Amino acid sequence: MIECQHVFKRYPGGNEALSDVSFMLEAGEMAFLTGHSGAGKSTLLKLISLIERPTRGQIIVNNHNLGRLPPRRTPRFRRQIGVVFQDNKLLNDRTVFDNVALPLVVAGVTGDEIRKRVQAALDKVGLLARARSHPLMLSGGEQQRVGIARAIAHRPSLLIADEPTGNLDAAMSDEIIDLFRDFNDHGVTVLIATHDWRHIARCQKRVIELGAGHLVTAA
Amino acid sequence: MKGYLARHAQVLVATLGQFARHPAATAATILMIGVTIALPTGLYVGLHNLERLSHGWHRGDGLTVYLHRGRSDARALAAIRRLPGVRAVRYTSPQKGLAEFERRSGFGKVLTVLRHNPLPGVVTVSLRGASPARLHTLAATLRRLPDVGHVQSNRLWLERLNATLRLGRRLVMILAVLLGLALVLILGNTTRVAVANRADEIEVIRLVGGTDAFIRRPFLYTGALIGAFGALCAWALITLGLAVLSGPVQRLDTLYASHYGLVGLGGGSALRLVLLCAALGWLGARLAVGRRLARGRA
Ligand SMILES: Nc1ncnc2c1ncn2[C@@H]1O[C@H](COP(=O)(O)OP(=O)(O)OP(=O)(O)O)[C@@H](O)[C@H]1O
Ligand SMILES: [Mg+2]
Repeated sequence: MIECQHVFKRYPGGNEALSDVSFMLEAGEMAFLTGHSGAGKSTLLKLISLIERPTRGQIIVNNHNLGRLPPRRTPRFRRQIGVVFQDNKLLNDRTVFDNVALPLVVAGVTGDEIRKRVQAALDKVGLLARARSHPLMLSGGEQQRVGIARAIAHRPSLLIADEPTGNLDAAMSDEIIDLFRDFNDHGVTVLIATHDWRHIARCQKRVIELGAGHLVTAA
Repeated sequence: MKGYLARHAQVLVATLGQFARHPAATAATILMIGVTIALPTGLYVGLHNLERLSHGWHRGDGLTVYLHRGRSDARALAAIRRLPGVRAVRYTSPQKGLAEFERRSGFGKVLTVLRHNPLPGVVTVSLRGASPARLHTLAATLRRLPDVGHVQSNRLWLERLNATLRLGRRLVMILAVLLGLALVLILGNTTRVAVANRADEIEVIRLVGGTDAFIRRPFLYTGALIGAFGALCAWALITLGLAVLSGPVQRLDTLYASHYGLVGLGGGSALRLVLLCAALGWLGARLAVGRRLARGRA
């Protein structure tokens, strides 16, 4: 599902965020991406979801060689994956329903199909009752769950999450990680960036560790 | 195809909803554009009315000869008839001229106060093959006749008017191009501000796989709709202006026993104006949003 070969990333004017990173994640797998702050976790996830492009190296996601994908194909590629952002990136002037519907609307899904899929996604994260609320009326954990619902509404085969449990208490974090495990049980490939070793210990899933831009473990 | 239309209809409705949520700002923009467009369009309409008027005046290529008062009109008439190049003459005696004037002007009672008829005898001369050169020669000859007071060439006067109207048309065209450009710039700037206000939304739409076309669409609709509404506003302003002028024009019409009236923008022209302004609004929005989207593309 994801294949990185000798990936380098240097931000303009900055130091090297990633150097010579190679690993492979099979379809249906679930893995934690970990490492100290500034290790390059977010950078790697941005390269995989085509928000940034690598300086060197090759990334293949869902059979697309991202380096060969022209910019105009980026939107179509993004619709094949689901991304949960560290800062949610919800639109505060739209309802929870409209936020979750966004990936469907941009993909040209219409009418009843949107309603059905949004309700299914909100049901999955336990927020069906809050569909008409606005994000700012929700707690941090609830907002994070709206972000997850949006990431799965279009039923992607790959789910990527950047610190989805960032500012949540232990119980809430466990709940969210269990949600991802549930998606994985249903065949979705999952990659979660976190520096919370508690989850890693609890889940017994594969761990990919970065240190100062280098791959430490990919076991 | 059906889905495509449905999506566009959805954006259209959303855009109108956006207008309804900001009525003051929307109205201000529309009015600004309406006034901008009304200027050249109003001039065009005015010019068009003048042209209609000048067509009404086009009474052949003759010369009008005003005779000296108190001399022999018969002798003058005979002299004019003998000139080469003269095809026909029509004589209006001072009495007949006065009667006509009284009838047309409605000043009959006032004129009875005058003890003498102030009008000269008038001869209208039409020519055989009236080239401007011949017209000039004949006018010069006529002026040298002893009983002739004043000679006026209808045609030269009309040509002068037409040349002026042509200049007016050219000026309206230049003005229209400049103000069309202004419209593009105004809507470009409005769109630029709107895009900046919605930067977060644009970022999120991109992250979840929205195409540039999808992001552009509401801005393009806004530009085109504001352009179209601006054109309607201009049309309303011109119609209002004509309504204000129609009273005095009617009075002039009765005075001159004419029936020019005023013509406004016809349905076809109004529709063309709306479509043109919608296109210019679309263009302004397209340029602004295109520039913005070119940045921050992965
Ligand atoms: N847009 C950017 N421009 C320049 N440098 C950047 C940019 N984004 C990240 N970096 C740098 O790249 C390195 C890796 O950053 P990255 O955000 O990937 O780390 P991270 O592992 O996600 O850290 P954290 O756990 O704090 O989120 C850091 O040194 C950071 O300063
Ligand atoms: Mg990070």
